Amino acid sequence: MAVSIGLSIAILILISLGLSVLFGMMGIINLAHGEFLMFGAFATLAGVRLHLPLPVAMILATCVVAAYGWVVERLLIRHLYGRLADSMLATWGLSLVMSQVAVYLFGSATQGIATPGGSFKVGEYSISVYSVILIVAALGLLGFVYAVFTRTKYGVMARAAVQRPQMAAAIGIDPQRINALTFMFGAGLAGAAGALLAPMVGVMPTMGEAYIARAFMTVVVGGSGVLTGAAAASVLLGGLENIVSYLSTPFFGQAALLILAICLVRVMPTGISGRLRRKL
Amino acid sequence: MKPSIAPLKLRMAACAAIALVCIVLGVVMPEFATLQLTSWALYGLLAVSLVFVWGHGGIFSFGQGAFFGIGAYAYSLAAINLLPITNETLSSVVLATLAAAVVAALVGYFIFYGNVGDVYVGIITLAMTLVLFTVLSSTADPKYHIGDAQLGGYNGMSAVPPLTLPFGDTGMPLTVVQSYVLVVVICALVVAGLYILLQLPFGRVLTALRQNELRTQLLAYDVRLRKLAVFTVGGAIAGVAGALYAAWAMFTSPGVFGLALAAQVVIWVLVGGRISFPGAFVGALLVQSVSFALGGGAGDATPVILGVVLIAVVLFLPAGVVPTLTGYLASRRKRDLTETAGTAQAEPEGPRLEALPFKSESTGAALGVIGLEKRFGGVRAVENATIEFAQRGVHCLIGPNGAGKSTFFNLLVGRFAPNRGAIALGGRPITRMKAHDRVRCGLGIKLQVASIFNELSIRENLWLAAYGRLRSSAAAGRRAQELIGWLGLGERGDSHAGSLSHGQKQWLEIAMVIATDPSVVLLDEPTAGMTTEETARMAAMVRLLGDAVSVIVVEHDMEFVRALDVPVTVFHQGSVFASGSLDDLRRDERILDIYLGRHGKEHAA
Repeated sequence: MAVSIGLSIAILILISLGLSVLFGMMGIINLAHGEFLMFGAFATLAGVRLHLPLPVAMILATCVVAAYGWVVERLLIRHLYGRLADSMLATWGLSLVMSQVAVYLFGSATQGIATPGGSFKVGEYSISVYSVILIVAALGLLGFVYAVFTRTKYGVMARAAVQRPQMAAAIGIDPQRINALTFMFGAGLAGAAGALLAPMVGVMPTMGEAYIARAFMTVVVGGSGVLTGAAAASVLLGGLENIVSYLSTPFFGQAALLILAICLVRVMPTGISGRLRRKL
Repeated sequence: MKPSIAPLKLRMAACAAIALVCIVLGVVMPEFATLQLTSWALYGLLAVSLVFVWGHGGIFSFGQGAFFGIGAYAYSLAAINLLPITNETLSSVVLATLAAAVVAALVGYFIFYGNVGDVYVGIITLAMTLVLFTVLSSTADPKYHIGDAQLGGYNGMSAVPPLTLPFGDTGMPLTVVQSYVLVVVICALVVAGLYILLQLPFGRVLTALRQNELRTQLLAYDVRLRKLAVFTVGGAIAGVAGALYAAWAMFTSPGVFGLALAAQVVIWVLVGGRISFPGAFVGALLVQSVSFALGGGAGDATPVILGVVLIAVVLFLPAGVVPTLTGYLASRRKRDLTETAGTAQAEPEGPRLEALPFKSESTGAALGVIGLEKRFGGVRAVENATIEFAQRGVHCLIGPNGAGKSTFFNLLVGRFAPNRGAIALGGRPITRMKAHDRVRCGLGIKLQVASIFNELSIRENLWLAAYGRLRSSAAAGRRAQELIGWLGLGERGDSHAGSLSHGQKQWLEIAMVIATDPSVVLLDEPTAGMTTEETARMAAMVRLLGDAVSVIVVEHDMEFVRALDVPVTVFHQGSVFASGSLDDLRRDERILDIYLGRHGKEHAA
């Protein structure tokens, strides 16, 4: 049970982290986030088909999606800063195109990567090794994002650019470059999430849709604080979904997640992180 | 520029005429074409719901598809269960519409009363759509049924009864053509109803709301309530479209909650234009017939085409396809006109100060503040502020940057809630009231930046301000006329407020504040950006206002404060530092210290 709750939370963290970075740092809602994730999963699948070791395939996939994110920022997102509804529409258009292109390239059937690691037993319960790996990876990614934003030159500049764009530009930070890098970073995180989830779930062109609603709710509840928001909201929503699903069916688990999220928005319009002072 | 509004009667006549033409077309066309046209008309109706919510209400909703789906499912469930009992399905259409409206009202309540930003509205409605898709797709198990109706999971519900009238023993299902006629009539009624709604004061307030939400709120309008109303009506329209669609298809599946439909609605509206109801039908008809011609709605390439169209429209034609075309034609025509216009700009420089058109019968209420405190994180922006303002007369609040006077002003306005303390207006506590309720209690507010409705006429601006308190369209019209005369803008009353000069806009906003019939007027830096001459006029105006009501001015410009010669309160580091006449204060060494920063204590905002 504990592992299963932990896994729910870890999955929410994974799928919402990239979205949260883009929203928190750039104020952009990337509606193609689910498809970025799907792209990461397919890239991993392709790597495995080419007989690369799974971890190598995952890292490569992450890099590929990040690079793709950079291109998307250049061609599309760059023109839409400050036009919120339009950027949502454009990324939505992108998501429709991406999932259909994936159907052309890979077919619409579900494909899988063998889940590595087998399972072990604790008392009567059998626990899959990979779910433990996922939990560790989610925590690791959280730590990684934290380190990037607090310990690297890019991270400090990006946070400065978010807080006071004009001031940041005045002291020589190129906002265009920072935005491109941030979008790339967010896309890479989505790709990494897709890569990590690939061995656990079916890889298919519509897999993005399956996760994106939950990722959105997590970001809405979390607010614009990139780490605190995503983590706290994941714990809350993931925990609830898992417990409700366990007590009844996944049907009610999903519904409970949606209802809790909408209720939380009424109480905390700026999200959990809006209540906190430190914005990261 | 806004197109001139066609008279309501003309629009009603056009609705009827177009509906009639469509009906005749549908009757003479081959049956399969009529069948096809029925579904496109329903898509158009769905697009109308988004035009209303997005274009007129300013709410960007991805959820219209979801309300369509809720209508479709509700109709299917109701009709399957009720047809054997009532021998008709029209009541199911009504039930479905109500169901969609109720869900929209519930979701809308959480969204708008939670005061979430615009982004969240889009995300929440989209997430709702996706979750409904997942939830209804997972109802394949036979245990998921309501009465006789199986939800059917991914495959959906089949054998949904068509539209049926209660004639004969088992009811009389409508033929293809009859259904089509009914659908067209419903579409025409809905559009006509929306036109009427927009013509009412409600519609004018919506236009204002879309342009400047804060100003609308400061004219005593409850913005949340109106957004909720728009969202609910939009949900009901999408719901009725969904119900009729389910009856038309005799089938409902979770596909109605899919992203493809949600995207299509937005595309129809983007093509037809965001604020045009006929455009919604044109958009739906154009897009659907083109994608039909390209290989059918179920073709493989549909999502790719939809996606590319979305991206292309957003990047290249952000105003929409049809409006861009008509706008191009209109601008060619206008070029001829502008050459003749553009003279006769000799304007009176301000209002007639001798005759202040003040009507306030509620004067005599004073504003009092006790122990007010506001913290931002660890910073105390306002600390233990206690001020009693007089019932009449002007009172200035001054202080260096970061002294807390802006925060104090925002606490009075109701944009921030204080952490401690109380605010009372005429003895009535207003500490927890929303801004619009404060205005209704007699607080008149002018913000620093002139925030008028640029795209409305001067008359409409003043009408909105007066209607917020008077609640009578005719009385508000008379008051607006009176204020236009007072401003000396008699001939320009119907031109766009945006065409006024900077100073005139400030006067207009003052007139709007007067129109709200306040007993206490709050002015935030009223002379910002004014010439010396205008500043002098403003000082005269503020003094006149002070003869009638209590006026509280937050000001930087010491010349202006000196010209007013009224009691002054100095803020320093969040607290009330000293009060008195300006001459008294100038003798106080400490105040010079604050302004000259001899202790280096003040910090930037």
